[in-house]
Amino acid sequence: MNLSNPGNKSYFCGQMNITILAIESSCDDTSAAVIRDGNVLSNCIATQEIHQQYGGVVPELASRAHQVNIIPIVDTALKEAGINKKELNAVAFTRGPGLMGSLIVGVSFAKALAMGLDIPLIEVHHMQAHVLAHFAELPHPTFPFLCLTVSGGHTQIIRVNAPLEMEILGQTIDDAAGEAFDKTGKILGLDYPAGPIIDRYAQQGKVVFDFPEPQIPELNFSFSGLKTSILYFLRDQLKANPSFIKENMADICASVQDRIVSILMNKLTTAAELTGISEIAIAGGVSANSGLRSALIQQGEALGWKTYIPKFEYCTDNAAMIGITAYYKYLEGEFSSQDISPKARWGM
Amino acid sequence: MEVLENIGIDQLPQAVERILAHTVGGRNKLVFSGELGAGKTTFIQALCRKLGVEEAVNSPTFSIINEYSYFDGALGSERPVYHMDLYRLRHIEEALEIGIEEYLYGPDWCLIEWPEVIESILPDEVLRIKFELATNSTRKILIL
Repeated sequence: MNLSNPGNKSYFCGQMNITILAIESSCDDTSAAVIRDGNVLSNCIATQEIHQQYGGVVPELASRAHQVNIIPIVDTALKEAGINKKELNAVAFTRGPGLMGSLIVGVSFAKALAMGLDIPLIEVHHMQAHVLAHFAELPHPTFPFLCLTVSGGHTQIIRVNAPLEMEILGQTIDDAAGEAFDKTGKILGLDYPAGPIIDRYAQQGKVVFDFPEPQIPELNFSFSGLKTSILYFLRDQLKANPSFIKENMADICASVQDRIVSILMNKLTTAAELTGISEIAIAGGVSANSGLRSALIQQGEALGWKTYIPKFEYCTDNAAMIGITAYYKYLEGEFSSQDISPKARWGM
Repeated sequence: MEVLENIGIDQLPQAVERILAHTVGGRNKLVFSGELGAGKTTFIQALCRKLGVEEAVNSPTFSIINEYSYFDGALGSERPVYHMDLYRLRHIEEALEIGIEEYLYGPDWCLIEWPEVIESILPDEVLRIKFELATNSTRKILIL
């Protein structure tokens, strides 16, 4: 039985054991996963640990690092899944958007493997995959649902009508929400990535400083102005008290986090009102933020939403979500030809 | 060197014109330095509009390189514009491994924020633009 099928449409088409190898190499991490009938058998991300096994080092970001990682990570994913590559029915890969040099590694590898095994090739849109990461586990949202995708590089509200039918309702016109965290961290002298550090401080602080909410039309977002207002605020405070940041770190973090979260939640709430949809999901790395999680749950209780937050390993970049998306494409017969190339910029 | 004083959001188009005057003859590798919040991305958004980029121009801090396209009237074809942000890179090796030299020494526009990490491999003819905070709403722009 296939637990990951969306409830309101039957995808059962007589063929069981559709096994897909998925590759994700759009940015920092190299990841490989094996998906069978929509269920995740393995989901491996190249980390120092895997590298030590092969005696290498990991530059944080490099297409050459992807070159080094890709075979070991695919090997590991197949082994963990207990699958021989001859059992695979298709090879899926992230076509974009992402860093061209990094994407090329995944695309070339997927093409070569699909050709060698004489099985279909499936291209996947990275942002579509973030949304479908919700189908890696139960319970998952029912269609139509809204998904707020928030990461270091993206901030979008997406209306999802069916697995492969999505519409962007709003997105950032400048910085992403994750970037607002990271840049605030830079101003505060915190390490990169600063999101988790700000979150930890915020949990010990109170919301006492008021940063303005940008007035952006429709369902779009802007975080660039917030960054600037934090900068001016701190500059003025530091003039009066040079240890202002040190003395108020927890409260500053709590105030900044509260504002970022309220910007996200206000737009999401408007989107829910406008569409009349009450199945609400979040995705992307920032959905690990405790403030966003509790705000979503609270708002859900207040407004009668059913809310969905994926497990952390499915929030950040991972190949399982590529495999889940590819599974739906496989069922629809959406395959790619061997002359395909990556797309660094790719609208949904 | 040219200095543009008192540039607020309303003076951006004129500032873009002044900078484009320095790019004639294919001098299309531009590096932008200045503090966080100094207005680098905002300026690049205006510059891209002027070049004819129609799609959304947003921050490449996470993606490192954003690629846009515009129609080049002189060439009669679509050309890419590369908008880079090297803020997250700590070592020049990381820049080399993403193939930065192919962009720097290629034919197309490169607009680079936080270029310090690649200082040693920048082409000689690179146009340097420096942003300084003047007041909360205006900037001083130095074209070097």
